[in-house]
Amino acid sequence: MNIRLVRTAFASALVVMAFGYVPTLAQVTSQRIARADSEPESWLTYSGNYQSQRYSPLNQINRQNVGQLRPFWMYQIRRAGVFETSPIVADGVMYLTEPPSTVTALDVRTGRPLWTWTPTIPDDVIIIGSPPVNRGVAILDDMVFAGSVAGHLTALDAKSGAVRWDVTVEDNKHAYYLTLAPLALDGKIIVGVSGAEAGIRGFVDAYDPKTGRRLWRTFTVPAPGEPGSDTWKGDSWKTGGGSTWLTGSFDPALNTLYWMTGNPGPDWNGDDRLGDNLYTCSVLALNPADGKLKWHFQFTPHDTHDWDSNQIPVLFDAPINGRARKLLAVANRNAFYYLIDRETGEFISATAYAKQTWNDGFTAKGRPIVKPGLDPTLEGVTVFPNIQGASNWYSPSYSPQTKLFYQFTREMSTTYYKGAAKFKVGEAFTGGGGRAINGDDAYAAVRALESMTGKLKWEFKLLSPGMDGLLSTAGGLVFGGADEGNFFALDAENGKLLWDLQLGGSIRANPMSFGVDDKQYVAIAAGWTLYVFGVP
Amino acid sequence: MITMRGVRRGVLTFILSAATCVSAAAQSSSDLAAGQQLFQGLCSRCHGIDGTGDEGPNLNRPNLHLAPDDAALRVIIRDGLPDLGMPRVRRLQDDEITALVVFVRSLGRTAPSVQAGNAENGSAVFQKLGCATCHIINGAGGSLGPELSGIGAHRSPKYLRGAVLEPGASLPKGVLPIPSRGFDEFLLVRIVTRDGKEVRGLRINEDSFTIQLKDTKNQFLSFRKSDVRQIEKEFGKSLMPGYRDRLTGSDIDDLVAYLSSLGGAK
Repeated sequence: MNIRLVRTAFASALVVMAFGYVPTLAQVTSQRIARADSEPESWLTYSGNYQSQRYSPLNQINRQNVGQLRPFWMYQIRRAGVFETSPIVADGVMYLTEPPSTVTALDVRTGRPLWTWTPTIPDDVIIIGSPPVNRGVAILDDMVFAGSVAGHLTALDAKSGAVRWDVTVEDNKHAYYLTLAPLALDGKIIVGVSGAEAGIRGFVDAYDPKTGRRLWRTFTVPAPGEPGSDTWKGDSWKTGGGSTWLTGSFDPALNTLYWMTGNPGPDWNGDDRLGDNLYTCSVLALNPADGKLKWHFQFTPHDTHDWDSNQIPVLFDAPINGRARKLLAVANRNAFYYLIDRETGEFISATAYAKQTWNDGFTAKGRPIVKPGLDPTLEGVTVFPNIQGASNWYSPSYSPQTKLFYQFTREMSTTYYKGAAKFKVGEAFTGGGGRAINGDDAYAAVRALESMTGKLKWEFKLLSPGMDGLLSTAGGLVFGGADEGNFFALDAENGKLLWDLQLGGSIRANPMSFGVDDKQYVAIAAGWTLYVFGVP
Repeated sequence: MITMRGVRRGVLTFILSAATCVSAAAQSSSDLAAGQQLFQGLCSRCHGIDGTGDEGPNLNRPNLHLAPDDAALRVIIRDGLPDLGMPRVRRLQDDEITALVVFVRSLGRTAPSVQAGNAENGSAVFQKLGCATCHIINGAGGSLGPELSGIGAHRSPKYLRGAVLEPGASLPKGVLPIPSRGFDEFLLVRIVTRDGKEVRGLRINEDSFTIQLKDTKNQFLSFRKSDVRQIEKEFGKSLMPGYRDRLTGSDIDDLVAYLSSLGGAK
């Protein structure tokens, strides 16, 4: 410690003594995030912990009292839009994002805003492939990090919302944009990009949290000569997609980052990209130090149905045949629940958790055996699952208490059409589309899967296939939402409905939980409002 | 008196008009194709390849309530509806917006076809059958069934004929903002309550936990699903009687002609 720091610390101590006020010196270090389960009153990273389990160890709200659940406060967003945020709670403050790319800090006791920051979004911003949304922030030390639809990553001072630094991740004129919550690791902020519907070449980036300097970039589509490049025809790799638009997971012990990748481009016409199209529709195991690929597993080789693998990879450990295994589980958009050994990338099993009509089994290494004749055509081919998948970006939940994997499941098919695809920078490059078989012909269900087999333990049916994440808790509950605006709590053991309330706006978000003054709360975004519930 | 000069001018005008018509038709046709291609790339991911809806609402509806006219539709295509989740996906040229407008409007229409029948007689058939008991036309009539004021502009004579002959087989979808996303509208539902009482009505709305109906007396009813013994959705049925065996062929032709005339159908 140098003299100046000592003097500063001394001066701070004097201020504290003079005002009798103990300032919060809390810093959200990566060590705190790694031990997130030991401070369950906080919610320090997008999925609650680095294992992305979206499980709260809090149990004050439980089977016995959840029937008394009531709203404690609400916050209405500043500008209406699709509200997909998953808040962070740390040291008395909730940090959330509002569409398209605003960051707001709220007093966690009252919902009163403490600061808000809105980036400048150019009038000619290009957003091809999703609504203009943002799913949340990352927090590290005394800074909050957020991506924007303009393709930027910005670091904000956690106490004021002032910009510490702002960098362009990639040029939005080329259709790159960010909707995900960044992931904060020790000395690194990890982000991915959206844009595969416009022929981008996807990547995962790491940035220095203090300066915004880019530390590494790992492309999800290899260039000629690199491993995997032989899975692309001609120059198709240049527009190969492989977006990285959802937050990944991290295993501190293995020092491995797990990141999922999206569809190849063009989506529905694979003629000019013959081959497996690595590393699209895959999970990548990366060394966070340099971004180097440790292993990969591809769920859907040469995808032509837009089945991005941008789902949450959930990490847990369990024995298989008497041997302790470190596992990664994904309920993939392609309707299969996968178990992968996260040390080696070895395929363990894949089990259908939703109706599917495309697959005839798997090889020993997990390569799907694809039924012929189901690629999109000019006339249309109907396939389960739907174009938006049996799952999508919204979060599953894994409960260490029940050992169940909870997944909001979409039961819907699509008639897939093939079209022409001509690449032009910044324009849609999709090569077709789909017609959803929706309405009364579709439905959804909260499904509890045995985490080691993918076998259905119970399900709770819902009217329509929305985009609704789940939260499980140590109180023996699973919280979920519905497209029609219902928020509900189920018994985590058997799926029995214990409580529900109509929130008046469609829910397209993940629930999360936190504690204040030794009381547990649950938060969910619905319509244009963030609701915080607790029991009196 | 028609002079030769007047005739010549008339012929010239006719030729020019015809040329303009041909050009407009060709333009519209090329716009339709261009619009379809743009739609596939930019819009189909949320609205479905033919506007039948997916994550976004279906557009194959006769009235887009946020875009009542083409000028409003142009603004929506140009700027998106960010507050409702529709991005402005990229900057579009005016001719691209025109092409998209042409295509989107085509989704809510079915092609007019040559029809038999006399609309005036059909109006009398409509009155005689008491159709106005359940249908509003231009502000008059009952409101149990769908309003028909502009039905001719939105539905083909073929569809209307089917709806008259066998109403349950062609329940509308995507006409009303509630419910949405491809749900059958005016779906007949039978509910048996815990105490054994049976209620039948038209589904107005529904979520995973509740359902709202209108009964045959046009009264709103609401049920929590867990509070009733049985809910049966009677797909393929309708509260409206079918007229296949109750009208002569010419009456049906006339009725269809009348319905097709509503809202300025050609």
